[in-house]
Amino acid sequence: MVALDTAVAASTALDTRPPARRRGARAHFTQFKWLYLLLLPGAIYFALFRYGPMYGAVIAFKDYVPFLGINDSPWVGWAHFEDFFASPDFPRLLANTLILALLSLLVAFPLTIVVALLLNELRVTMVKRSVQTLIYIPHFLSWTVVASLTYLLFALDIGPLFQLINGVLGTNIDFLTDPGWFRPIIVLQDIWKNTGWGTIIFLAALAGVDQEQYEAAIIDGAGRFQRVWHITIPSIMPTIIVMLVLQMGQVLNTGFEQIYLMTNALNRSVADVFDTYVYFMGITQGSYSYSTAVGLFKAIVGVVLIFGANWLARRFNQTGIF
Amino acid sequence: MPREKYRFNTRAGRAFDVFNVVLLIAVGVLALLPFIFVTAGSFATEAELATRSFFLWPETFSLRAYESILTSDAFIRAMVTTIGVTVVGTVIQLLLTASMAYPLSKLNFPGRRVILALIVFTMVFSGGMIPTFLVVKDLGLLDTYWALILPMAINPFSLIIIKNFFQQLPAGLEESAMIDGANEMQTLWSVVLPLSKPVLATFALFYAVGIWNDFMSPLLYLNDSSMWTLQMFLRQVTVATDLSIVDADPSQLPPAQGIKFAVIVVATLPILLFYPFLQKHFAKGMLIGSVKG
Amino acid sequence: MSAAALIATSAVVLAGCSASDTGGEAADLTTVSIMAPYLVTNAPSGDNEIHTALEEIAGVTLDITWVPNSSYLDKTNITLAGDDIPHVMVVQGKDPGFVRNAQAGAFWELSEYLPDYPNLATTLPEVQKAASINGEVYGVFRARDGMRAAVILRKDWLQNLGLEVPKTTDDLYEVAKAFTQNDPDGNGADDTYGLIIPKWPGAIGSNSPYDVIETWHGAGNRWTERDGELVPSFTTDEWLEAVDYEKRLVDEGLVNPDYATFDSANWNEPFLNGKGGIIIDVHSRAGVLMSLLKESDPDSFQNYVEITGNLEGPDGVLHAHPTTGYSGFLAIPKTNVRTEAELRAVLEVLNNMNSTEAGALLNNGIEGTTYTLDGDLAVAVDSAPQALKDAVLSYSQLGTNVTGFQGYLPKQPTEYEQEMYDKRKAIEESDLESAEYDPAAAFVSKTYVSKGAQLDTIIADARIQYIAGQIDRDGLTDAIALWRSSGGDAVIAEINELASQNN
Repeated sequence: MVALDTAVAASTALDTRPPARRRGARAHFTQFKWLYLLLLPGAIYFALFRYGPMYGAVIAFKDYVPFLGINDSPWVGWAHFEDFFASPDFPRLLANTLILALLSLLVAFPLTIVVALLLNELRVTMVKRSVQTLIYIPHFLSWTVVASLTYLLFALDIGPLFQLINGVLGTNIDFLTDPGWFRPIIVLQDIWKNTGWGTIIFLAALAGVDQEQYEAAIIDGAGRFQRVWHITIPSIMPTIIVMLVLQMGQVLNTGFEQIYLMTNALNRSVADVFDTYVYFMGITQGSYSYSTAVGLFKAIVGVVLIFGANWLARRFNQTGIF
Repeated sequence: MPREKYRFNTRAGRAFDVFNVVLLIAVGVLALLPFIFVTAGSFATEAELATRSFFLWPETFSLRAYESILTSDAFIRAMVTTIGVTVVGTVIQLLLTASMAYPLSKLNFPGRRVILALIVFTMVFSGGMIPTFLVVKDLGLLDTYWALILPMAINPFSLIIIKNFFQQLPAGLEESAMIDGANEMQTLWSVVLPLSKPVLATFALFYAVGIWNDFMSPLLYLNDSSMWTLQMFLRQVTVATDLSIVDADPSQLPPAQGIKFAVIVVATLPILLFYPFLQKHFAKGMLIGSVKG
Repeated sequence: MSAAALIATSAVVLAGCSASDTGGEAADLTTVSIMAPYLVTNAPSGDNEIHTALEEIAGVTLDITWVPNSSYLDKTNITLAGDDIPHVMVVQGKDPGFVRNAQAGAFWELSEYLPDYPNLATTLPEVQKAASINGEVYGVFRARDGMRAAVILRKDWLQNLGLEVPKTTDDLYEVAKAFTQNDPDGNGADDTYGLIIPKWPGAIGSNSPYDVIETWHGAGNRWTERDGELVPSFTTDEWLEAVDYEKRLVDEGLVNPDYATFDSANWNEPFLNGKGGIIIDVHSRAGVLMSLLKESDPDSFQNYVEITGNLEGPDGVLHAHPTTGYSGFLAIPKTNVRTEAELRAVLEVLNNMNSTEAGALLNNGIEGTTYTLDGDLAVAVDSAPQALKDAVLSYSQLGTNVTGFQGYLPKQPTEYEQEMYDKRKAIEESDLESAEYDPAAAFVSKTYVSKGAQLDTIIADARIQYIAGQIDRDGLTDAIALWRSSGGDAVIAEINELASQNN
C-alpha cells in the first residue's frame, strides 16, 4: 500500500465521508474536540512563528533603521517599489533570475527524477545503498567549498577540467569568466550538490509502488522500459506534481551564496539576480527596507505561481497539494 | 528482494543493468571525490596545502589540525550540544508536525482547505530575520535551546506530505480503533504513527539535517558562546575571509587551511552516518501493504 | 476558530513587540557588556585568565558577547533592533548600516568627552577624524599601522637574473617582464610569470593591487584634490594612465592569466610553487610566506623572500598607499547608556582598558604564560595552551591604542625573520612620510550611503573588463559617465559640500 505517491494522490480524492453537519457549536466541538486539540499546537506555531513576524513586511514601506525600530522608522510609501521597478537593473535582474529558474526546472528537476528511477532499477542492494549514500554527501558541503573546487577544476590554463574540455573540443574557453558559460556552470554545480539529496523524496515514493502491477505487466509481456513508462512514472506522478507545484513558489529564489561566489567582473551581466541584489541592498548598503520591498515582490509572484499551479493541476484532473 | 522475482534476463536488459551500475557508481565516485579531497587536506601539513592545489592523499601525514580542534573543549562541547539539540529537536518537530497533519488529513474537518492554504502561503512569504528575532526574544527564548527548535518546528512541506500520507491510510484501521473506544489522539499514537514509519523516517532525516545545518539560529539567538553548535565553528572557518577586514587588521590571519578542512570533516561525518541508519526504514515502505488486504 | 486563535496570538505578539523595557541602570556600573568579533576558530571562554586580569584592570565585571567575524554585520543589526543592547559595541567600519543607525541617534557622539580621559585623548587626531562621520566621533577608533603596502618578490629569481629590487613602477614592469621571459628559475622552460593578482572581492578603493598601483601613479587614494575640488581617483588622467599600465602587464602576459577569478585564499600558492614572482599586498604576507617556507625547507628558507615598500610613479614622486589607520571603533549605544553619568562610567572603563598595563594584556597576553620579555620584544611561549593563544587574538579586538601602540612588538623566531621584520618596520616608517591620504575619508555622503556599493561596482567591473579587453577605452569612459549619471555626480557635490563645511 503506502507510498508517498498514493498519499499525495489521496489529497484530492473525492470526499466520501459525510460533511460535518450544521449543528450547534457545542455538538460541533464535541465531534471534533480531539482533532482541534491535535491541531492546536501547530496552529499556535504558525500563528506565532510564521504569521507573527509578518507584520515586519511593513518595513518595505518605510525607511527602516534597526535602532529606531519598526514602528518609529519613517514612512515612505511605495518609494522603494518605484525605485526598484524603475531601476535600470530591473529587466536584467528579472531576465537572469527567470532563465536560471527555468534551467533548474527543465534540467535539474527532471534529472533528479531520472536518477531516482535509475537507482530504483539497480538490482544489487549493496550497490544501490552505497550509491544512495554517496550521492547525498555533496548536500553537506557548503557552497564555499563547492565554489572553491569549481575554481580549482576550471582554472584558466591549469584546471584539469579546463584542460580536458578544451583539449577535446580544441577550443580555449575560460569557463569562469565567459558569460555564456556562467549558467551552465551554475546548473552543473546545482545538479552536483542537490540531485542526490533531491532523490530521497522520489525514492521514498518509488519504494511503495504496487509490486503486483509489475507482475501483471510482465505477464502481459511488457519490456523493462515500458514498465517504467506505464507503471513506475504514473505511480509517482502525484509526487512529481506536488514537488513541481511547490517549486513554482520558489521560482524567483535562486539562492544567494552560490551565485555570489561564482560572480566576477567579467560575467556580472548574466550573474546578477534578485537574491544577490537583495544582499547588496540589504547587507552591503544596509537598506533593509529596499531589500524587503524586493522580497515582497518575489513573494507575491511566488504566491501567484504556487496557487496558480495548484489550480492548474486540479483543473487537469491531476493532484494538487490542497 | 522482491525485485528479483522479475526476469530481466534479456540481453538488452542485462546490458542496461551493466550500464546503469557503471554509471551510478561513477556518479557516486564523483560525489565522493571532493569529500576525499577535504579529508586528505585535513591530514596534510600547512606547507603542503599552500603548494598543492588538488590531491587525494597527503604526502606528509599530519594530525595537527585534528589535535587542535579535538583538544578544544569548546569544540567537543559544541559537538555534544549539536547532537543533543538535533535528537531532541527532531523528535519534537516530528511530533508537532504529525499532530497537526492528522486533523488536516480528515476530509470532513472544518476549515481544512483554508488552513492548508494559510500554511502553503508561509512557504513563500515570511516576515524576515528581524521580526522573527523579535518574536523569539519576546517569548523569552533567547539563550535557550528552544530557540533552535521551536521557530522551525513545523516545515510546511513536510507537513503537507505527511498529511497526504495519513489521508490514504486505510480508514478501517482507525475506525476499528475508535469502536474500541480510543479517541483520535490515541488512534494517532497507537495506530497511525506506527504505520507511518517510512514517511516519518524520511522527515526525521529532513528535520535532523535542518537542525544540524542551521547556522543562523544559534548565531542570532544564542549570545552565550558556551551554548553554541558546530555550525558556528564551521561557518567561521569556511566563509571566505574578507580581505578588506584582514587587511585593516594585521594581527588577524584566516584560520589555517588544515583546520578548515578538519572542521568540515568532523562537523559533517556524524550527520552523514545518519542516513544509512535510516535507509532500512525507507525500504519498508511496502510492509503495511499486508494490513490493507 | 483556528483563524480566530491565529489572529489573537498574533495580536499578543504585536503588543509584545511595541512594549519597551523601561528598567534603568545606576550610574556607577558594576558590569559593562561588550559585543566584539573574534577571528579565530574558537571564541574565548568566559573565565579565562586574560578575562580575569582585564576585569581587574577595568575595575568592573565584563560581560563580553563574542560574535564570529564572518557574521558580525547580521548580529550587529539584529542586536540594534532589539532592546538588550550592550554598553559597548565593536563596530567594524563606516558601512551604510552603521551610518544609518548613527545618524538616527543610536550612538553617543564622543568628541567633547574623549579629551577628558588621558588614555582616550588621541595622539592621532587625523585618524580620529578619518574615522568620524563628517567630523562627528561615534566611537573610540582602533588604531592600526598607518602603512602596510608592500611589494614581495622572489629573492632567488632576482639574484638569478642579476636584478635590483624595483624602486619605481617602471622597474616593476621590467622585473615582471624578466620574471616572465628570462627563465628566472633556470629550468629552461617558459613556465613563470611576474605578478600574482587575485580576484578581489571588494570594489574599488579596497586596497587591491590595482588600487595600490593607481595610487603610485598619482591618482590619489579613493579621492584626490584637483583644482580645489575633491574628485574620485578614477576621474583623473593619472588613473587612466595607471589602468593602461595594468592592462599592459596583463596583455604582455606578465600577470597570472586567471587574475579575474583567482581565489585570494590561494594567493601564496603560485609564489611558493615558483610560478609567479611578485605579490603586491601588505607586509605581513611576507611573514606568512616565510613561515610556510620554513616549514617545508628549514635550511634555506631565507633565500626566497624579498620585500620592498611603495614604488615611485612615472612622475618620479613617491605616492605611498597608506591604510585608513584604524579598523572600526568601539561605539557606545544610547539604549542602555542613557545618561551622561553612565556614559562617563563607561568611558572610564574604556580608559582603563587602554592603559599601558591593559595594552600589554590585550596585545600580548599574560607575561610568563603566553609571552616572555626579551628587552622590549615579546617572545611567544609555544607551549601556552591553544585556547589561551586564541584568546589573545580575540581580546586584541578590544584594544584601541589611540595614544600609540600599547603592547610589545613580537620577537621573531629566527634572526633572519627578525632582520626582515626590522626592515619592514623601517620601510613602513619611511613610506609613511610620503603617504597619499584620502582627503574625503571623514565624509559620508548621503547618496553614497544609499548607492555607493553599486556605484563602486560599475567602476571596478569596467576596470577589469578594460584590462581583459572586453571593453575599449571608450567603454571605460562610458562606465565613468554611467557612474556619474547614476548618482556619482551627487556624491561629488555632497562630498565637496561637506568638505567646505568642515574646514
